[in-house]
Amino acid sequence: MSFPILRIPSSIAGLMLAGVMMLLAGCTLPPPIGDREALAEYEQVNDPLEPTNRAILTFNRGVDAAILKPAATGYREYVPAWLRTMVGNFLDHLRAPVVFLNDILQGEVDRALVTLNRFWINTGLGFGLLDMAGAMGMEGHDEDFGQTLAVWGVPSGPFMMLPLFGPSNPRDTVGLVVDFLTDPFNLWATNTDREHLQFARGGTLAVDNRAGSLDLIDDLEKTSLDFYAAIRSLYRQRRADEISNGKGSANLPAPGISDLREAPMFDAALEMSRR
Amino acid sequence: MHAGLFFRWGFAAVLCGFLAASPAAADNHGKSSADFIRSLADKAIASLTDPETPRPERIERFRKLFNDSFAVRSIGKRALGRYWRQASDAEKTRYERLFEDLMVVTYVDRFANYAGEALEVEKSRIEDKAIATVFTEIMRKGGAKPIRVEWIVGTNGVIYKIVDVKVEGVSMTQTLSSDFASIVRRGGGIPGLLDELEKKTVQLTAGQ
Repeated sequence: MSFPILRIPSSIAGLMLAGVMMLLAGCTLPPPIGDREALAEYEQVNDPLEPTNRAILTFNRGVDAAILKPAATGYREYVPAWLRTMVGNFLDHLRAPVVFLNDILQGEVDRALVTLNRFWINTGLGFGLLDMAGAMGMEGHDEDFGQTLAVWGVPSGPFMMLPLFGPSNPRDTVGLVVDFLTDPFNLWATNTDREHLQFARGGTLAVDNRAGSLDLIDDLEKTSLDFYAAIRSLYRQRRADEISNGKGSANLPAPGISDLREAPMFDAALEMSRR
Repeated sequence: MHAGLFFRWGFAAVLCGFLAASPAAADNHGKSSADFIRSLADKAIASLTDPETPRPERIERFRKLFNDSFAVRSIGKRALGRYWRQASDAEKTRYERLFEDLMVVTYVDRFANYAGEALEVEKSRIEDKAIATVFTEIMRKGGAKPIRVEWIVGTNGVIYKIVDVKVEGVSMTQTLSSDFASIVRRGGGIPGLLDELEKKTVQLTAGQ
């Protein structure tokens, strides 16, 4: 499961251009030279466009509250679970070629074979609607070109909030465009004047994703002090996890692990002795 | 800067020496940590899942469980990060109280929800003498994809305490830390953060 509030691979590329223009509007300045800790924090937060990003999040939340959230809530409420599962399976099925391509580009031959086998098994036995391969123990996974770039060592660049598409960064934005361009479904739809199918797919995907994260986002809105900062942190951590395929990585050490050595035992002992 | 680094590693070295000297801190804390998490899950089921329990009572039960199983002060300090050192003693005291309160009201419902679903321990991995990661999956009802939860458990060989939890790769401590730092940085300062914590705690205690 990927996190983004909205990830609609459809041809709304103009909006992304608008996003880039808006990005130029506001910047946070680095802290004064000499404050090393503040500078380290500034670099770690890596969000020089924060004021603009916050404005875009406000816009996205408006759109979400008016359209997407009600749609996702209704979808979860009125569409039976088995049908939602089929819709989810079908969306995953359509995405299989892109996942396969990125498995290969990342040199993950085993995972590529899983994606390939899943594709023909689910086409033959499940018409794309049933995850027969999953039932056989061949679990599906997601990949995208943003993750491929990360595996190749391309840095993420600063945090960005894209209009409608949600949290991102330059690397993942390029990934989004490449995924769109390499998706056979999109190529077929574009070449046969069936763009409406792309919109239908994008809309369904948005509702399906949003329905899957209803509780998570409600929870985050309820418990976070600063929703924007929480989303930013969550997005980064989820992406790092996806890039490492859930295994963690030497390049992306879990922050906090290094200073775990500093205190926990000491504190644990203290906490015990206090009672 | 080097002095700080030296102090840090010096402290770590002393701590390691202390741990190495402790005979109980054998290399089986991976397995013991896994048992610790299992027993925590059982306790949570026993004390939190009964829907008849009134919420204030459930909050108090969870507070006890939370303090017993989590290195609350350590998590709180790491969540405040560098601002911990900048805080006055009075602010630290107030922060520790508010942090515990906030964590309890934030996690009581989530914990109770999770407790109703089966937690399966997959494996554990020893990180070093004091730290082990316990990999678990929470099995959802209705065939939804299981949730991957990793518990980072610290130990001195006798006491076990959770020092961080990662849900699908998202660390509780790191998320809190980004959230808190953002409030401090955006002009609230430490007093601003404390007020926000207080407000949120009141909201969440009343809510639901």
